[in-house]
Amino acid sequence: MAVAMKRSELLTRILITAAVIGAVGTPLYFWARTPLIHARVAENGGWSQNVIHAKVNEPLHLRLTSDDVMHGFAIGQMDMQSVDVMPGKVTDLTLTFDKPGTYTFYCTRWCGVNHWRMRGTLEVSGSNADPTTASAPLYVSLGLDIDALHDVPIMPADKPSAIRGEQLATKLSISQFINPDFYRVNSPYQLFEDLNSSGLNDSGKWDVVSYIWQSNTTPESLSHGQKLFAQNCAACHGENGAGDGVFADQVALEFGKSMSSANNGRPANFTDAKRMLGASPALLQGKILRGGMGTGMPSWGPIFTEDQIWDLVAYIYSFQFQYH
Amino acid sequence: MSRIELTRNLFIKKLLQSRYPQLTVFIIMLAGYIFAILAGLLGTPVGSHNFSIVFVWITWWAILILAAVPFFGRGWCAVCPIPLPGEWLQRGAILRPERTLSEAKWKSKGGWLNLRWPKFLRNIWLQNISFLLLALFSSVLLTTPNVTGIVLAAMLFMAIGSSVIFERRSFCRYLCPIGGFIGLYSQTAPVELRIKDKQICVTCDGKPCYNGNENGYGCPWDVFPAGLTKNTYCGLCMECLRTCPSDNIAINLRPFASDLEKPSTRLDEAFKAFIMLGSAMIYAAVLLGPWGTLKDAAYHVGTNSWFIYAAVFLGIIFILLPSLFALCTFRFQNFNSFKKRFTTLSTSLIPLGLMFWVAFSLSFVLTNATYILASFSDPLGLGWNLFGTANVAWQPLLTSMLAPAQTLALVGGLIWSARTAQNAAREAKTSPIPVILYCLIATIIMLWLLL
Amino acid sequence: MRFILFLLFAGAGLIVAFAPLPVRLAAPQARTFQLDAHQFAYSPSELYVNPGDTVTIQLVSTDVVHGLYIDGYDISVEADPGQTSTLTFLANKPGSFRFRCNVTCGAMHPFMIGKLTVGENDWLYRSVGLATLGIIGFFPLSSFLKRSTS
Repeated sequence: MAVAMKRSELLTRILITAAVIGAVGTPLYFWARTPLIHARVAENGGWSQNVIHAKVNEPLHLRLTSDDVMHGFAIGQMDMQSVDVMPGKVTDLTLTFDKPGTYTFYCTRWCGVNHWRMRGTLEVSGSNADPTTASAPLYVSLGLDIDALHDVPIMPADKPSAIRGEQLATKLSISQFINPDFYRVNSPYQLFEDLNSSGLNDSGKWDVVSYIWQSNTTPESLSHGQKLFAQNCAACHGENGAGDGVFADQVALEFGKSMSSANNGRPANFTDAKRMLGASPALLQGKILRGGMGTGMPSWGPIFTEDQIWDLVAYIYSFQFQYH
Repeated sequence: MSRIELTRNLFIKKLLQSRYPQLTVFIIMLAGYIFAILAGLLGTPVGSHNFSIVFVWITWWAILILAAVPFFGRGWCAVCPIPLPGEWLQRGAILRPERTLSEAKWKSKGGWLNLRWPKFLRNIWLQNISFLLLALFSSVLLTTPNVTGIVLAAMLFMAIGSSVIFERRSFCRYLCPIGGFIGLYSQTAPVELRIKDKQICVTCDGKPCYNGNENGYGCPWDVFPAGLTKNTYCGLCMECLRTCPSDNIAINLRPFASDLEKPSTRLDEAFKAFIMLGSAMIYAAVLLGPWGTLKDAAYHVGTNSWFIYAAVFLGIIFILLPSLFALCTFRFQNFNSFKKRFTTLSTSLIPLGLMFWVAFSLSFVLTNATYILASFSDPLGLGWNLFGTANVAWQPLLTSMLAPAQTLALVGGLIWSARTAQNAAREAKTSPIPVILYCLIATIIMLWLLL
Repeated sequence: MRFILFLLFAGAGLIVAFAPLPVRLAAPQARTFQLDAHQFAYSPSELYVNPGDTVTIQLVSTDVVHGLYIDGYDISVEADPGQTSTLTFLANKPGSFRFRCNVTCGAMHPFMIGKLTVGENDWLYRSVGLATLGIIGFFPLSSFLKRSTS
């Protein structure tokens, strides 16, 4: 006996169907329509989008979120303040590029030993048909083998002091040493040897070397270098540069068996005078730019500007020398 | 003070008898539940910013354990959305039955397969197991949105499936992990549904409260209202209020824990008490303690350490706690069986377990409650800000009040258990002292874990 | 008679809950702890200081960005791996306080917890005292309670 459905029942069924469709449809709709770039630790896939496309002079709106831990976002070689990419929250970022090309975007907050692998490319297309050719880095134009050993035979007994060096240097003519053309291509040890004619003893010579090294940089540069070091290098190389950062053991474990690792795969120890004093700024710049080669050292070429690398190099020498 | 009949108040009676207020709550709950499933599956994987984690394990859990269970017994079951789609399917209608009386009788038992729940499963053992399954995976469940989404969806589909195969609300009565402990603890609640006059039921023809009539369906909980002496299995769905032709059903206000004056002697319920007591203590140690190894073991499901953790968890619940308790019920020259003593005295663990969960939940909820504000405004982690609270920073609430509140809950629960033990011991003709000491030691351990 | 007993136990309860406990006098000193933070625990995870100590915590994150928030003192600090952060405070509130991570650091972040105890965990002793007192007082008073609620 089929009885027509009561109106109240029909209305209720319609209402419930609408509520259920709403509860299913609303999240589906908005989720599908919200393009987000998800950040995950490198072991879980890194950035959800490896390539971002943009057009020159057109604002690019990015919406970034993290799926696990605190990450950050910045674009390499651009003077850009990095933004935090927070778990469960969305960061909005608008960028405009005035030069076409391939940029690198990267994570700026340490999120594990593979943090530095969280990178992607940003392709900015445009009508500018005049590609700028990059000039070869110094170590390449010098033909410098940055993987060769650079241990020094004579090391200072104590940490060389730039203050003592300054006093000793008043009697010497050292202006030829205080310019980038000399500084960048010579190691501290080479300068030490150049000072053989100064009549100073070894300790004095090292002091003068440290003073000259300090004179080739500025307090501002050192301060920038310190910040860059803390944010990018200390996690592996240690806050005091001794190669004992929080990830040092993991890096050693992963790369210790590789034949080309000089240090048993451990991050370099910047407090090791034997190695560091034989390294020229060009060599250090090369290592920073190129990285890799069977070690856990990242290649920072796409990330740091040239100025930033010189700042870092200047700061790294401060583990060897007592600057004031 | 004995009982105050709340349904004497016409407004309350009309509110409960009418299907529309209940329906309104049902729609909101069902929509919220489905939204939580979708949020869990599609939203941000970060638990603290996903609606499903925040609204299920913080908001709903807080309301359940701090308000609904202690004050309304199975009050949550009255508004739970899980059985609804299956039940509407089973009944062929959402509102009242639409046929003549004879067809209504048929309709109220469902038009599908309509099988009787198997006799050997007519107990809460399956619920004990389902709760333990959730508990063993709790670290993952409480923190991972898509796991919560899948579990919520699984419960919904299981409920629909069981409604299509079996009669009445068999998911709720025999499978639901939450229902298992809500039922046990509802015995402590100050609210109950009972008949008014037994004589009326004796002479009642057709027993529509159980079989249904044109006004409503037979009890979905497979309970015969005239036989209700405890809250444990009544889900407060109000059908019998609608079907009873003699207005013989009442909702009463009564003293707390009235049901425990007639302690149950069921083994499945006794073990439920141990499951709840043990898991409260283990959760306190693992989730709120400073021991990282425990958290790692609990979270990394499938590893060796997790298997050891699971074995210890189950060992505490099924071996350690019950056997120590059994020692406390031991007594020479007792006319009652060991089983009667064990099960009767184990009812004293009911108020204790409830307060253990209240004390644990207070810490968990007060610490994480501010996530509710952020999640309200951005439930899926898509960058919304619906109510302007999306960027409210995390901040634990009322930390200075937490320790006193937990002490009050635990010491209060202890004294309450002691009273229950005394009563149960009288029923079992034995001494309550060993059991009371057991409760004291358990309380001291819980105090040490939480404070 | 029962009523007097009840008052006696209530009084004892108030004393256990609120009476000032003898304080072990220890000269306040400056203490420094290095706390390594990793997913999802601190090591060490339990710290003990005396009331009045000046406490310095150096937070070293060893995998991802973590934070440190101290309940009750409502102070916090966060640290990136490679950048140790320092939190210095005066431990003038006695008792036991949980500290937790306040930078989302993964799934079990809400349960990344440690414990700081300044002096003695007085509140725990009081609670245990109250629980025991409650049970001792329960027996003489229980029949009193029953009579009044029948």
